[in-house]
Order: sequence, then C-alpha cells, then structure tokens
Amino acid sequence: MKNPLYLLQRALTYLVLIVASLLSVFPFFWLLVGATNTSADIIKGKADIGGALIDNILTFFERVDVPLVFWNSIYIAVTATFLTLLVSSLAGYAFEIFRSQVRERIFGGMLLMLSIPFAALMIPLFTMMGRLGLINNHLAIILPGIASIFIIFYFRQATKAFPRELRDAARIDGLKEWQIFFYIYLPVMRSTYAAATIIVFMLNWNNYLWPLIVLQTNDKKTLTLVVSSLLSGYYPDFGVIMVATIFATLPILIIFFVLQRRFVEGMLGSIK
Amino acid sequence: MPNKLNGLRTLVGAATLGASVLAMTSALAGEVTVWCWDPNFNGATMLEAAARYAADHPDFTINVVDFAKADVEQKLQAQLASGTTDGLPDIVLIEDYRAQKYLQSFPGSFEPLGGAIDTSKFAPYKVELASLNGQSYSVPFDSGVTGFFYRTDYLADAGYSEADLQDITWDQLIEIGKAVEAKTGHKLLSVDINDSGIIRIMMQSAGTWYFTEDGQVNIEGNAAFKTALGAWQRVLQSDIYKPTSGWTDYTGAFASGEVAGTITGVWITATIKANPELAGKWGVAPIPKIDFEGATHASNLGGSSWYVLASAPQKAEAIDFLKEIWASDVDFYQKILIDQGAFGTLTEARNGPAFQASDAFFSGQPVWQNFTSWLAEIPGVNYGIFTEEADTAVAAQLPVLKDGGDLDEAIKQIDAQVKQQTM
Repeated sequence: MKNPLYLLQRALTYLVLIVASLLSVFPFFWLLVGATNTSADIIKGKADIGGALIDNILTFFERVDVPLVFWNSIYIAVTATFLTLLVSSLAGYAFEIFRSQVRERIFGGMLLMLSIPFAALMIPLFTMMGRLGLINNHLAIILPGIASIFIIFYFRQATKAFPRELRDAARIDGLKEWQIFFYIYLPVMRSTYAAATIIVFMLNWNNYLWPLIVLQTNDKKTLTLVVSSLLSGYYPDFGVIMVATIFATLPILIIFFVLQRRFVEGMLGSIK
Repeated sequence: MPNKLNGLRTLVGAATLGASVLAMTSALAGEVTVWCWDPNFNGATMLEAAARYAADHPDFTINVVDFAKADVEQKLQAQLASGTTDGLPDIVLIEDYRAQKYLQSFPGSFEPLGGAIDTSKFAPYKVELASLNGQSYSVPFDSGVTGFFYRTDYLADAGYSEADLQDITWDQLIEIGKAVEAKTGHKLLSVDINDSGIIRIMMQSAGTWYFTEDGQVNIEGNAAFKTALGAWQRVLQSDIYKPTSGWTDYTGAFASGEVAGTITGVWITATIKANPELAGKWGVAPIPKIDFEGATHASNLGGSSWYVLASAPQKAEAIDFLKEIWASDVDFYQKILIDQGAFGTLTEARNGPAFQASDAFFSGQPVWQNFTSWLAEIPGVNYGIFTEEADTAVAAQLPVLKDGGDLDEAIKQIDAQVKQQTM
C-alpha cells in the first residue's frame, strides 16, 4: 500500500516545513538568548545562554522609567482601541444598514483617502495639533485614529454577513436602533470585534512615526520610542535592547493569545 | 439589559474624564530643553555640563530628551516644516554632515551664535561647516577626527612597529595588509561594503567634497575625488579586508579579534574599549594619504554640534550656558574625554591633563595628543546640503568598482545620479 514515492514526498514536505519554522523561530530564539548576554558577546555572535540577564534587566530599569513608559503605551493602546472600535464599528454598521446614494459616494471618497500616505498628512496634522494645543499630549495620538477608514471598511464588510432577519425580529420586539446595535449586533459580531481588537491594538502599540513627531518629553514617550532611542548612539547596549524588545513584544503576544480563544468562541456562537 | 448599558456609559465617561485630565498637564517653565541622541554619550556630556553650570547658577535646570539620531532629525524636520514652534527645544544636536541642510532649508529658525561665542577657540573645520552667509550657528561638540586603529600585537607579528605606520599611502597599506595576513592569518581591516564613509574620509583629507563652495556638484572632473575612489578601488580589489554588513557585523569583526583594525572616527574608541581583555593590544596611527597634491593624513568622519533655536523659550539662558561651559571650561572637556570618550573640539582643551596623558589601553601611546594634532590639520570643507544623496550614489557604485568596473564610468554614473537628484 505504502507508495515509496508518496513517503518521499511527505518527507520532503516536512523537511521544508521544519526548515521554514526554524527560520521563523530563530529571531525569537536570538532575542531571548541575546537578553541573557552582554553587548560585547552579542556583537561577537554568541548564541548560547549567558549570565547577564539580571544585569540587562537592571540596566534597563535604571536607564528608563519602565512603569511610566509601559503605562503610556498601555494607556494609548487601550483607549485608542476602545474608542476606535466603538466609533468605527458604528460607522461601518451604519454604512451597510442605512444605505443611500449619497452615503455610497461618501464611503467611496473615504476609501480613496486610504491611498494617501501618512507622510503627506503628517505635517498638516502636526500644525492642526499645534493649534489645538495638543503637542506632547497623548490625545494627539489617540484622536486622529478613532475614525479609522480601514476598520470602518472592515466592519462594513463584516456587517454584510449580519442576518437581516435578526434586525427585523428585534424591531418587531420594539428595540430602538441603538439598542439593536448594542444588544443584538455587538454580541453576534464578537468574533469580528476580537479580530479588529487585535489589529487596532497592534497598530497602536507599534505606532512609531506619529508619536515620535508629536511627543516631546521623556515622560510622555511610549515603549516603541524608548526601544528606538536605546538603539541610537555610537555604542548601543544590545543586551538591554533585547530585554526592552521582549517587554515590547509581550503585551501583543498576550492580547493575541487571550483573544484567540475568544475568536474561536465567537465562531462557535455564530454557528449555533 | 439596562444594567449592561449603564456599564458601557460609565466606561465611556471614565475614558473621556481620563483623557481630559491628561490634557491639563503642561510643560515646566524656566527649564532649558535639549534634544540629542545618545544617553551614554552626548546626553551624558550635556548633563555633566549642566551640573557644572548649575554650581554657579542654582536656578538652572535642564531637561535632556534623547531620541534616536534619525528620530531627532525627523522630528526637527517635520516640526520646522510645519511652522509650529510649540514644543521645540532650546538646544538641539545636529550631525555635522546635515548642518547646512537645516540652516539653508529653514532660514531664521536657528540663532546665530557668532556674537556670543568666540568661535576662534574651536577647530576651524567645525566652525566652517556650521557657517552660513558669514554667520556661525553652532557650538561645536565632538569631532570625528580619523585614525587607523590597529592591533599592535598582530602588526608586530608581521614585523610592523608604530614608526612603520607613519606617513604611508593607501597602496602601502595594501602591502602591509598582505604581510599581516601572510604572517598572522588575520585580515587587516573590517570594511562595511555598503558604507561610503571611507570615501568621505579620503575626500576631506584632500580638502575636497562632493560639492563646491557655492553648492555645485563637484564629482566628474574632480581629480581628488577620482584619486580617492581609485585608491579605494585598489583596496576593495585586494584581499586585505573582511567584508561586513551593518554596524554589528562591522564592529564584531575587530571586537572579536578576527580582524586587525579599522580606519574610522575617534568615536569608535568607546566600542573598542568595551573589550577590556584587549587592553594594551591596540594602537592608533594616522590614516594613509591619497596620492594627491595637498592631501593630508588628517580627516574627519561624522561628529556633531549644538544649535540654539531662534524660537527657544529660554534662549538667553541657553546661550549663556553654552558659552560658559562648552566654549570655555577646559576641565569639563577633560572629564567628558575620560568618562564618555567624547573628543571635544575646543582647542585649549588639549593642554589639560586628560588630553596630555598617554593611554594604557592604546599601548601607552599619547593618542589624545596625536588626535588633537590631527584635528588641527583637518582641511575645512563645505558639506553642502546633499551629502546624503551623494553618499547613496557612491555606495551604489562601490560593488561595481570592487568587481573591476571602470573608474571613469563609475564617476560618470555617480555624477549623473547626484545631479538628477539634486538639480
């Protein structure tokens, strides 16, 4: 029964997969190992566990006000994610449910705006924030992203799968439009919200260019900015940078794993 | 169900409240703000300077904000372009190669300092690069005065002493490299093959640049440039170096002892000294000379200077601070040389004890005296505003030259690319 050619094919497939997974895991391995080595050892290419982990962590905490910076990043990412999901999902829902010629045009125009690169918006946006007195203020980072065209588009697409019958039934039961949204739509679309949360949280957590431009003092900086400023200089301490990078990666991993379970839950819920 | 909604309302309310509390915090008044990019280097020297100034001026406070170097540049560029001065610092550190770009692109944004600060106290090339229309705009900070950093033990094994490395040409360097590899098995240099820094070193050592004084492209027909590129092509085609890619790879080659040395700016000292087990095994010689009339053994790579913004809220205080410490305090320069390896450009500083001392790490050579002598000999050039663009054009041709490409053709290509980008 066992075809030798088939076996060979399988073996080859697995070989390629193993090599590919090693390649993708290696940077993480290198990151973890690097955090335990001194900068000088990292430069020499040492790839086994060293004894400098505690030193690196202590230096990181000594050089950077870690709790404050961490709080800044968390505050921005959580607030922005919450507000973005609220505003953009409402908009996406409305564009799909309450259609009209004019709204289609507006939506088309918005999609076109997706093609404008941020670099072109940066300086006008900075001037605007300057006039609002929001330079060096976390609100300057949170506010511009709340009405996210991409997330609006995403929710509009997802809303197409939202059963009209549910809406009709809710209306017959006497629910108002906003009640339909919060009590019917929101729970049903849990999986969509979970996926959007991952996307928006990651975008905000990793956001670099705009916070860099608009934040001016050390006490306002986010973790991404701190990692970048550690990397500067004529003699960067790579051990500390590795530790900082681990700190910057952890929340994303946690969010992902937590929401991944929700994600599956949501899928099961919608099948029932 | 209504309970659930109340919960949501409370949450929205709390978020809004949190946001408005945050909006109320504002910057501290009366503080001199500085933007720089290396907390261990220029940031640390700035704090030391501030501590000295505060001894006589108890009210003086400083806020040193560090970003990555490219980040400082981007922030400054974006903010000056937006025309919003709100949130700009009082003092900013700018890399020398980019000075003219800022000075010429944003006229009026920087404060002329020639009146307040006696620029004749600094190395002339540093003052020249930050001058525009007869005004000088900077307080010079560190120099990138260049040297040939080498392993004394490897070179001794190959039969070369300190004296044999004085007044050599690039072709002699190739011969030395061949001998070192034959006798010790080590390559002579670590070379980042994507970096055109060495061409900049060679050009400035002969007093020339990619651009003329009045900003015209000076590449095709620039005999010194051709000599420099030709000399480097011969090095690239020899087998005396280890090709590396990126900073980590480049520094790793000599930090690990694999390679016998490198030719670069004095700021590499901190990286070299980070390997204390190699103490006493390093030395510094002058860089080789290109075969061109008027060429020297002295050049520069990198370096940066302090600038005061015209919009600075604490302008008078910032200038006085720079004047009292950065433009006069000889002791201060001794301290930052020892603590941060920062090689300042105040000429008087060389008479201080730290500059006079010989360095045990560098085999007891009087390296700091040597560097100060070379510093004074660096030919002044005008870096213009498009050095970065020209660098990219040169870097693109280096692999071609390495593979035996025609020198004149490469120069033609570089010239065309620079003109296309900048005219």
